[in-house]
Amino acid sequence: MAAIEMNHIVKKYGDGFAAVNDVTIDVADGEFIILVGPSGCGKSTLLRMIVGLEDITSGDMVIGGERVNDKAPRDRDLAMVFQNYALYPHLTVYENIAFPLRLSKQFNGKEIDEKVRNASSTLELDEHLERKPANLSGGQRQRVAMGRAIVRDAKAFLFDEPLSNLDAKLRGQMRTEISRLQKKLGITTVYVTHDQTEAMTLGDRVAVLRRGIMEQLATPRELYENPVNLFVAGFIGSPPMNFLPATLEGDMVELPFGKVRIPADKAERAHGRGLLIAGVRPEHFEDASVMDADKVAEGSTFRATVDVTEWLGDQQYAYIPFEAPPEVQEQLTQLERDLDGESLRTQLVVSLDSASWIRDGEEIELYINAAKMHLFDPSTGENLTAAASGDEGAASRRSSTTRGEGDRVATDGASTSSPAGAHRGPGGATSAT
Amino acid sequence: MKRNSGAGIWIGFAAILVWCLLPVVWILSLSFKPVAETSAGSPQFLPETWTIQNYKDILADGDFTRALLNSFGISLIATLLSVIFATLAAYAIARLDFKGKRLVLSIALAIAMFPVVALVGPLFDLWRTVHLFNTWPGLIIPYMSFTLPLAIWTLSAFFREIPWELEQAAQVDGASPWQAFRKVIVPLAAPGVFTAAILTFFFAWNEFVLAISLTSTTASRTVPAQLSYFVGPDPFNPPFSQLATASVVVTIPVIIIVLLFQRKVVAGLTSGAVKG
Repeated sequence: MAAIEMNHIVKKYGDGFAAVNDVTIDVADGEFIILVGPSGCGKSTLLRMIVGLEDITSGDMVIGGERVNDKAPRDRDLAMVFQNYALYPHLTVYENIAFPLRLSKQFNGKEIDEKVRNASSTLELDEHLERKPANLSGGQRQRVAMGRAIVRDAKAFLFDEPLSNLDAKLRGQMRTEISRLQKKLGITTVYVTHDQTEAMTLGDRVAVLRRGIMEQLATPRELYENPVNLFVAGFIGSPPMNFLPATLEGDMVELPFGKVRIPADKAERAHGRGLLIAGVRPEHFEDASVMDADKVAEGSTFRATVDVTEWLGDQQYAYIPFEAPPEVQEQLTQLERDLDGESLRTQLVVSLDSASWIRDGEEIELYINAAKMHLFDPSTGENLTAAASGDEGAASRRSSTTRGEGDRVATDGASTSSPAGAHRGPGGATSAT
Repeated sequence: MKRNSGAGIWIGFAAILVWCLLPVVWILSLSFKPVAETSAGSPQFLPETWTIQNYKDILADGDFTRALLNSFGISLIATLLSVIFATLAAYAIARLDFKGKRLVLSIALAIAMFPVVALVGPLFDLWRTVHLFNTWPGLIIPYMSFTLPLAIWTLSAFFREIPWELEQAAQVDGASPWQAFRKVIVPLAAPGVFTAAILTFFFAWNEFVLAISLTSTTASRTVPAQLSYFVGPDPFNPPFSQLATASVVVTIPVIIIVLLFQRKVVAGLTSGAVKG
C-alpha cells in the first residue's frame, strides 16, 4: 500500500495533442480517488500512465515515495482491472488468479493455493475455479479480474471503467462490492469512470477532467454543492443542473420566468458582471401547490407552462422550454458539446414531488430555492458564487481541495496558462481515510 | 421441394468425394497389385491378387528410405525454423509501430509471388560456390524463405485478433515482455502457429523443383525427387505399382500430421478473454 503523487503530469502525443495537461493529484495511502469526465478527457490515459502502460511526457509520478516514471509496469507493483477484464482465455479461473503469484516466484505452491482460495472466497468464485473465462457470465468475469488484482498485495488498485460492460442491475451490485472490498482491504485505489453515479458513490475524492485538464478535485459532496465552473456543474448531477440566462440587480436575479431574491453574500460576489448564467439543480424547484404555504412564502415562486412531464414513482420531472439570448446560448451549446451531449433546446428540468398532479401543457406555480442558486460568468464559465457555500461544513469536511476564487479559466486553448496545481488547497490534498 | 434440395446436397457431396478420392483409391489399389497386373495393358480397378510385396520392396530399397529420412528431416527443420521466425516477425508487425512496416509486409508478399523456377539457376550456382549444394541446409534455407511470407501473414492476422489488453494485463501482473509473449500471446496464437506449421510442412514435403535441382545424391534428395528416379529396367513399362506404393507411403505422414494438428487448430480460442 502506498500513496500516489502525480506532479504536473503531461501526456503529449507526437502530433502535439495534449491528452493530459499538467494534472497534479496526491492520492493518500488508502484513499479512493475517482477520475471522471466525458470521453476523450484523458482520464484513462492518466490511469495508464500511473500503471506504466503509457509514457509520461513530463511531470513526476511518485508511488510510495519512489519516482516510477521510467519503471516498467511489472516493477511498479500495481494491480489493474481492465474495462474488458482481459482474462487469459487459455487458463482456468484458478490459474488466472494465480498468474501474478506464479510470475513473482516468491511463493511456493501451497502459499499460492492458499492466496488464490482466499481471494476466490472473498469474491465468491469458489465453485468456478476450474472453469475457463469463456464459460463465465459478465459479472463472474468481472470478479475474476478483481480476484487477479486482490490476490497479491499490490501497492494500489487501478480500475479502468470496470463496470461499463455490465448491465444496470449488476453494475449496482458490483459497485457496492468494490466499495466494500476497498474499505476492507484499505488499499489505495484510483478508479476511472464516466459514470457519475459511480463517481459520487465510490470516491473519497473525485477529480473531474475535461480535455486533459483537471477542472476540480474535491469530495463528491463538494463537487455537487460547490462546482467551480459551468463544466463541473453540468457534469455532476442527473438530470443535470439547469442553466438560465440571468441578470443581477441588487440581490434580485432576473430569470426568464421572473425575479427571485438570492442571499446577499452571493449577490455581492457576482455583482457588476452584466449578463450571467444562473445554475439551479432540478431538485431546488418544487410545485408550490404541494408545499406548505409558509415555506413557499419564504422563497420565490413563478408561473410557467409545463411542456412534458415524466412520472417516475418516487418523483417526477417536468420540462419547461425557454428562450436564451445568443451569448448564453453559445456557451451552453459549447458546454453540451464538452459533456458529450447534444444541445437540442434550452429547457428547464424540474424535479417535483410525485404527489403533484401536474399534466403536460398545464401552467404551474413553481417554487425555487434561490439560496442554492449558483451564478456563472458566461464568458469564462467560472462559478461566481462558489465560495459562498464553501464554509458550510459538510462540504469541506474531508479535504481542503477546493479552490476559493475561480482561478480556473475555462476558455478554449487557454489551458496551459493555468496550472492545475492550483486546484489543490494550500495544505496539499492529503486526507485521512 | 425441401426434400429435393436435401437430396441434391447429398448428391453434390458424393460427386465431390468421388472427384477427390477416386485418384487416391486408384493409387491405393495400384499399390496392392503385383507387377504382372500393372504391366498387362488396361488393368481392372481392383487387384485380382492382393499383394504387399510392393511395400516390402520399397521399404527394403535403401535409396527410398534414405530419401524418406531426408524429407522428414528437411521438412521438419524448415517448418520449425520458419514458424519460429514467422512468430517473432508477425508479433512485431502486429504490435509495434515502426517505419517501413508496410514495406516489410509488401516485400514478404512479393517473395511469396516470386516464381520458384526463376531462382533455380542462381541458387544452383550460388549453392555450388558456398558448398551448400546437395546438403540439407541447401534445401532448408530456400524452403524456409519461401514459406516465411505466408507464415508471417497468417500469424500476424492471428496476433492482431488477440486483444492487446491481455498483454498489458500480463505486464501489470508482473510479466516481462518476453514472459507476456510466451505465457499469454503464444498459447493464444497456437491455432495460427499450427496453421502456419501445416502449410510450411506441406510445402517442404511436396516441393519438387528445388529438390531435384539442388541435390545430386541421396545424401539430401527428398522423396518427390527420388520418385522421379523410379524408372525400372524397361522404359516402356514404368513400375506403376512401385510408384503408387511410394506415393501412399509419403501420403500417410501428411494425413497423420493433419489429423494431429487439426485438433489444435481450434477457432475461437480467445473467446471469453474480453467481453463479447
